[in-house]
Amino acid sequence: MIKKSIQKIYLALIFILLYAPIVTLMVLSFNESRTRAKWGGFTLKWYQELFKNEQIMSAFYTTLLIAFLAAAAATVIGTAASIAIQGMKQRWRTMYMGLTNIPMMNAEIVMGVSLMLLFIALRMTLGFGTILIAHITFNIPYVILSVSPKLRQTSRHTYEAALDLGASPLKAFFKVVFPDIVPGVLSGFMLAFTMSLDDFVITHFTKGPGIDTLSTKIYTEVRKGIKPEIYALSTILFVSVLVLLILVNYSPDGKEEEGEKKKVRKPSRAKVIFLRRIVPAAICILFVFGGIYYAGENQVMNSEKVVVYNWGEYIDPEVLTMFEEETGIDVVYEEFETNEILYPKISSGAIAYDAICPSDYMIQRMMENDLLAEIDFDNIPNIKYIGSQYMEQSRQFDPENKYSVPYCWGTVGILYNKTMVDEPVDSWGILWDEKYRDNILMQDSVRDAFGVALRYLGYSLNSTDLDELTEARDLLIEQKPLVQAYVIDQVRDKMIGNEAAIGVIYSGEAIYTQKENPDLEYVVPKEGSNIWIDSWVIPKNAENKENAEKFINFLCRPDIALMNFEYITYSTPNTKAREMIEDEAIRNSTIAFPDLEKLPELETFQYLGQKADETYGELWNQVKSS
Amino acid sequence: MSSKLIDFVHVSKAYGMQTVLDDLNLYIRENEFLTLLGPSGCGKTTTLRILGGFETPDTGKVIFDGKDITNLPPNKRQLNTVFQKYALFTHMTIAENIAFGLKIKNKSRQYIHDKIKYALKLVNLDGYENRMPDSLSGGQQQRIAIARAIVNEPKVLLLDEPLGALDLKLRQDMQYELIRLKNELGITFIYVTHDQEEALTMSDTIVVMNQGYIQQIGTPEKIYNEPENAFVADFIGESNIISATMVKDRLVKILGVPFPCVDEGFGQNTPVDVVIRPEDIDLLKPGEGSIDGVVTHLIFKGVHYEMEVMANNYEWLVHSTDMFPVGTEVSIHVDPYDIQIMKKPESEDEEAVNIEE
Repeated sequence: MIKKSIQKIYLALIFILLYAPIVTLMVLSFNESRTRAKWGGFTLKWYQELFKNEQIMSAFYTTLLIAFLAAAAATVIGTAASIAIQGMKQRWRTMYMGLTNIPMMNAEIVMGVSLMLLFIALRMTLGFGTILIAHITFNIPYVILSVSPKLRQTSRHTYEAALDLGASPLKAFFKVVFPDIVPGVLSGFMLAFTMSLDDFVITHFTKGPGIDTLSTKIYTEVRKGIKPEIYALSTILFVSVLVLLILVNYSPDGKEEEGEKKKVRKPSRAKVIFLRRIVPAAICILFVFGGIYYAGENQVMNSEKVVVYNWGEYIDPEVLTMFEEETGIDVVYEEFETNEILYPKISSGAIAYDAICPSDYMIQRMMENDLLAEIDFDNIPNIKYIGSQYMEQSRQFDPENKYSVPYCWGTVGILYNKTMVDEPVDSWGILWDEKYRDNILMQDSVRDAFGVALRYLGYSLNSTDLDELTEARDLLIEQKPLVQAYVIDQVRDKMIGNEAAIGVIYSGEAIYTQKENPDLEYVVPKEGSNIWIDSWVIPKNAENKENAEKFINFLCRPDIALMNFEYITYSTPNTKAREMIEDEAIRNSTIAFPDLEKLPELETFQYLGQKADETYGELWNQVKSS
Repeated sequence: MSSKLIDFVHVSKAYGMQTVLDDLNLYIRENEFLTLLGPSGCGKTTTLRILGGFETPDTGKVIFDGKDITNLPPNKRQLNTVFQKYALFTHMTIAENIAFGLKIKNKSRQYIHDKIKYALKLVNLDGYENRMPDSLSGGQQQRIAIARAIVNEPKVLLLDEPLGALDLKLRQDMQYELIRLKNELGITFIYVTHDQEEALTMSDTIVVMNQGYIQQIGTPEKIYNEPENAFVADFIGESNIISATMVKDRLVKILGVPFPCVDEGFGQNTPVDVVIRPEDIDLLKPGEGSIDGVVTHLIFKGVHYEMEVMANNYEWLVHSTDMFPVGTEVSIHVDPYDIQIMKKPESEDEEAVNIEE
C-alpha cells in the first residue's frame, strides 16, 4: 500500500515538474493584472489584444504559411525519398537511412548556422524563401521516418499486381501503394507541420529583415520585456502544437489496432468525404484568403522601402509610423543585440540593409573592410542640428566624417551612492579602495573592465602594448577581492536598490538610476574614460541608398530626435533637440549633456584587430579565473 | 494441341554471382495447363516473373504470340498473374478489386458490373461484392485474386504457387476448381509449384526444374513413370534409386543380381541408375523372388502399408496392401516393365543438379 502511494506521489511530482511552467504561463495569460505578482481576476483581454496586434497576426500567418508549404513540400520529397530508399539493397538502405537521420540528430543551431552560410555562399537574399527552404530541409527526415515503416509493411506484390492488371507504374503507385502508406504520409505531414510551427533556432538564422514567424516574434517581443499578450500567444502556440502532436500520434495507432481486430468495415462514407474533400478545401480557402490579406498587409515588396537594422528598443515606434506617413516609404525594421551579431550579417552581404546603427569601433572595422558607402550629406540637411563637438569626437573612427551620422552617445563613469560614500569621487582609484570591499560593481565585459584599469594607469584604453595590458591585468586581479560582482545590466538595479556603493556604468543608465534613486551620483573620473557613439551608416550593398538618407535626415530633425531621446533616454547629439527638452533638470543635466570640453580626456573604443582581441580575451580569462 | 503461344529462347538470368536460369529453352502451347515444378530456388518463379514482365532476362528473348515481348513492361502484356500471397488491394472492396483492371481499360459501367457478377459466379463467391478482402478466408481471397485476373480475359493466366498458403483440404478443393476454371475459360494456364502432387493432378505438361535447368518435360504419366534422371525420380513421388550395371539390352544387374528389363540401347556393361517405384515391388516367400531379405520397418498408411526391406545391403522401400510384420523373411520381385533405367550423369555440371533438395 505504502509503496503504491509513493509511486503515485512520485508520478505526480514528475508531472508537476513537467507542466508547472506551462500551466503558470497559461494561468498568467488569463490574468487581468499586468504584473506577474498578483492575480487581478480572469480576463480574455490579452487574447483580444493579441488578435488586434497586426504584427503578431502577420507573424502568425507567416508561420502557418511556412509550416504548411514546408510540410507539404517535405512530404512530397520525403515520401519519394522513402520509396527510393525502400527499393535499395539492404546495405545501401541502412546507409541512406542513417544519412537522412543526421540532420535530425544534429544540433539545431549547427543546422541553422550551416544553412545560413549556405544561403550566403549561394548569394541568396535571406527572407521568406530561405526560411521555407530551411524548413523543408529539416522536415524531410521526419517525413522519411514516418513513411518508411508504412512502406516496409506494404507488399511488393500488390504493386506488381496492379502493374499486371494494366496500370502504369505511376497509376499503380497512386492507386495501390499510396493508399496503404497514407497514414504514414499524413502523420509525416503533421509532424513536419508541427516541427515547422515551433522551430525557432533555424528560423532565426535563416530569416531576413521584415519577416517573422511566431517564435522569432515572441523572442523579439520578450527581449523588450514580457507582455501579457505574449503569454496568450505562447498558450495558443502550446495548445496548437499539443493538439497536432495528439493527432499525429493518435491516427496511425488507431488504424493499426483496428487492423489487428480484423477490420471488416470500410471507413464510413462521411468520414472519407470529410477527410478527402472538406479538409483540403478548407485549408486551401484559408490559405488563398490569408494570402490575399497577407499581401495586402505587406505591400512592402512592390513599393518604396528602406531596410533598417537597429539596436533593440532604440527608436520610438511612433517615429517609424510618422516617417512612413510623411514620405510614403515603407520601413522594413529589424533589430540586433550586439555589434558582433551585426558584423557578419553586413560582411556576408546576405541581406541588403539600407541603414544600420553600429557603434564607433564597429564602424571603424566596417570602414576598414570597405563595407560602408559614403553618405551624400546634400541629402541630409538636418546634419546642421548635430553638435560640432560630436562630429569632432566621431573623427576618432570616421576621420573625415564621411560615413556616419551620430545618433546616441554616452560616457562610461562611476555611479556612487552619496549615503554610502562620503568622500568626493573623482578618480578610478576608489574602485581599489579597501573601504568599499564587497560594495563595488564592475562591468562584466573585457573592453570596459580593461578600459577602466588602463585609464587609471594612464594608458590609452585602446592600448595593444602587452606590458601595459599585463599591468592592467594585475591591477584587475588585485581589485578582484573587493568586487561584489561582475555584472552588466544589474548595475542599474543593484545601485537603485542600495545593494552596492559604487558601480561602473554608462551615462545613459545613470540618468535613469538617478530618477529612481536621488542618492546616486555619476562622475567621469579625472583619468579619462570611454565615450561611445552609435551612428547611422549606410552599407555599401544598400539597395535604397536615397531612402536611407531620407530616413537618417528624418532622424536628425529636432522634433524627431527629441521623441527618440525621450524614448531611449540616451544622450542625443542633436543640440536643437536638447534645447527643446521641457524638463529643465534633464536639459541641463551634466550627465546627459556634459560639456565635452570640460570633461577629462575621452576616447572611443577602436577595433584593435583579431590578434589584440585574442590577447584581451586571454588576459580577461586570467582575471576571471584568478 | 495447337501451336506454340509462348517461346523462351536461350533465356539466362543471374542475380549477382548466382545463376538462376541457365540457357532456358521452353515453349508453351495454346490452351495448355503447364506446370513448372521444382524445389525452391530452381528458377521456376523467375521463369514466371520473366514471363509476367517483372524481371528482364540477361540474355535470350521471350516470344509471345509471335512477338518479342522481352522488354515489354508488365502492364502492356496480355497475361495476368495470380500471386502467391493473393496481393489483393486491402483498401478496396471485392468489387473494386475485380474492377481494377477493367477500369484502367476504360470499360463501361455496365460491362464492369456484368463482369464482376460473372467472375464471382465463376469462383463461387456470388454476393461478396461489397466485402473487404480482410474479411475473407484464405481460400476465398485466392479465388478473388483469380477472379480479378480472369475478368481481363488474358490469353494466359500465370499462377505463382497460388495454393501454397492454404490448408490441405482447401488445396485439394481448389485444385479441382482450377481445372474446372481452365476448362471453362479455355485459356493457357502456367502454374508454378513445388508440390509434385498438385502438379501431377492438374497439369497437361510438367516441366521439372532444378538449379536453373530443365530436368524433364512431359505429361504427368511420363514424368512419373519414366523419370529421365535420378533428380526427377526422387522429386516426383517416392522411389528406390539404385546404382546398377546394364549388362546388355534387356538385362540389368542390380546389387549383383540380374533382372530382366525392357530397356535397350545403353550398350554393354554400362553403369546406370535404376528407378523402381515402391508400389511396383511384389513381396513373395523367400526363394521365390529375385533377392531375399528381411522386413525392418512397417508403417500403416491408410490405403497401403509402407515397409522397408533389407536385402543385399540395400533398404528397399515397398508399398503393399498386404502386411508383413517386422522380421518376416521375404523375397523381392519386380516385373521387367516396372524397372526404369536412367543414364548416369556424365559431366560434373549434371552431377551438381542431381538429388539435391
